[in-house]
Amino acid sequence: MSARRIYFVVSILVLAALPWLIATPYWRGILVLCAMNVLLALSLNLVLGYTGQLNLGQSAFFGIGAYVSTVLIKSYGWNFWLAALVAVGAAGLLGLALAAFAVRLRGHYLAIASLGFAVITYQVLVNWEKVTQGVRGIYGIMPPVASTPALFYLVAGIAVLVYVLIDNLVRSPIGETLRAIREDEVSAASLGINAALWKAFAFGIGAAIAGVAGCFYPGFVGTLVPDAFNIIESFTMLAMVIVGGMGTMVGPVVGAIVLTFLPELLRGFGELRLMIYGLALTLVVLFMPGGMVQAWMALRARMR
Amino acid sequence: MMLQAKGISKSFGGVRAVQNVSIAVPANSIFALIGPNGAGKSTLLNLLSGLYQPDAGSLHFEEQNLIGLPAHRRVRLGMARTFQKIRLFKQLTLLENVLAGFHIHHDTPFWKYLVHGNTGRFREEARELLAFVGLEARSGERAGALPYGKQRMLEIARALATRPRLFMLDEPAAGLNAAEVEFLLQRLEEIGRRGATVIVVEHNMDLVMSVAHRVFVMDHGEPLFEGTPREVQSNPAVIAAYLGGEFAS
Repeated sequence: MSARRIYFVVSILVLAALPWLIATPYWRGILVLCAMNVLLALSLNLVLGYTGQLNLGQSAFFGIGAYVSTVLIKSYGWNFWLAALVAVGAAGLLGLALAAFAVRLRGHYLAIASLGFAVITYQVLVNWEKVTQGVRGIYGIMPPVASTPALFYLVAGIAVLVYVLIDNLVRSPIGETLRAIREDEVSAASLGINAALWKAFAFGIGAAIAGVAGCFYPGFVGTLVPDAFNIIESFTMLAMVIVGGMGTMVGPVVGAIVLTFLPELLRGFGELRLMIYGLALTLVVLFMPGGMVQAWMALRARMR
Repeated sequence: MMLQAKGISKSFGGVRAVQNVSIAVPANSIFALIGPNGAGKSTLLNLLSGLYQPDAGSLHFEEQNLIGLPAHRRVRLGMARTFQKIRLFKQLTLLENVLAGFHIHHDTPFWKYLVHGNTGRFREEARELLAFVGLEARSGERAGALPYGKQRMLEIARALATRPRLFMLDEPAAGLNAAEVEFLLQRLEEIGRRGATVIVVEHNMDLVMSVAHRVFVMDHGEPLFEGTPREVQSNPAVIAAYLGGEFAS
């Protein structure tokens, strides 16, 4: 317990120091991106890692958070926080709506259904030009706070809060319920667990958290185009969760950090960049099947 | 009657797995379902527990009509079960397996857990249940790492966590050695003594004959005979079903 506290305090101190250690505007921007990716990885991990549902629609909820908040601000003149609140609610409700249809599906079928949802959402963003401006995009979006370090503190602070809340949730009896569903749905039902209800719960919360990340993305980039929420983004989130270690709290955080910085660090390799990135991903999945966190724990156990 | 089924049937495609079966299980009894392989015993148990819905017939638990009620809702009425093919949460520890069994007894809204995390509720009772099946020393191990016989006992502890008044076990002695069967028998009697009604599907005749108050025999999906263990043992139709038609006369 005290070790957990120490890790927590050290993490907060490192987060506080980061914008001072990294002074170039470009890398400070990467820090903000990284905090958003941590939120997205945490959101997917609740559904995939703890509840065992392969949801490939997470990019859609990210996009819904971004578009709902931006349209409310730009077209209707709403205040950022109020718009964000509605956007997160909208993402969460759509997550529940998808779950209402999808919870009876399992494995590949659920993956395809959620992927379909992501494709439809993307098409709506592209084609509903009256509201979303389609591929022309929305320009001149202001972040809720002026400086990049402030934006980093804000998003990272929210990520820490979300981490603590999910950590509490998965260590509570609800965590036991979700893991029971992940392990064996029939068995879970034999203990009185309504699997459909709890899967919808995980979907809804996961979608809302992805929506939170979506609220900060447009202001950070300054422009909003549908391509940012292409289904490829769902797979990037999936890679973060798997590379880090799904079903653990630290894993997706590590995965998000590694997969945000790795492509940036590889920029020096020019055209070889994506090849090296792909190779590194493949190697991690091949040789660390439980993800980096589990590999690290196995290594530490062997050292003792 | 604690549980009453009247004329229930279930077919899969063209196969009539259970045909026109009526059973009445009195409260505080140990009720055994026996019959040769393929007799429909497991299907009947799946119908009782809600894993399947019957094609025809009525089904009542005390006064409650069970038709159309899904498995997870029946647990809240006080019905629990184990599985013939063990279905533990293999990646979770023994303690976590049993704790998951307390699901229906939690009444805290979820947002309180967001703030408080684990309250440690039911932990003591879960340990007692592990002790009841002789597994308290291994509570931190992964369930999947347990030997087969111990996995069966863990499944019993997990189901008991729902605090059932009607406990249904599907071949609990399958794959157990003699000492383990002896322990199981003793535990079943203890569960009965503590007030639960027990329905047990079993192949192990020694166990059935020493533990059951009533025995219901099925063959080819149909009821064959019902009586006390002694009556079952001496019934020619039952002997014929087990040994084959040529011994009947």
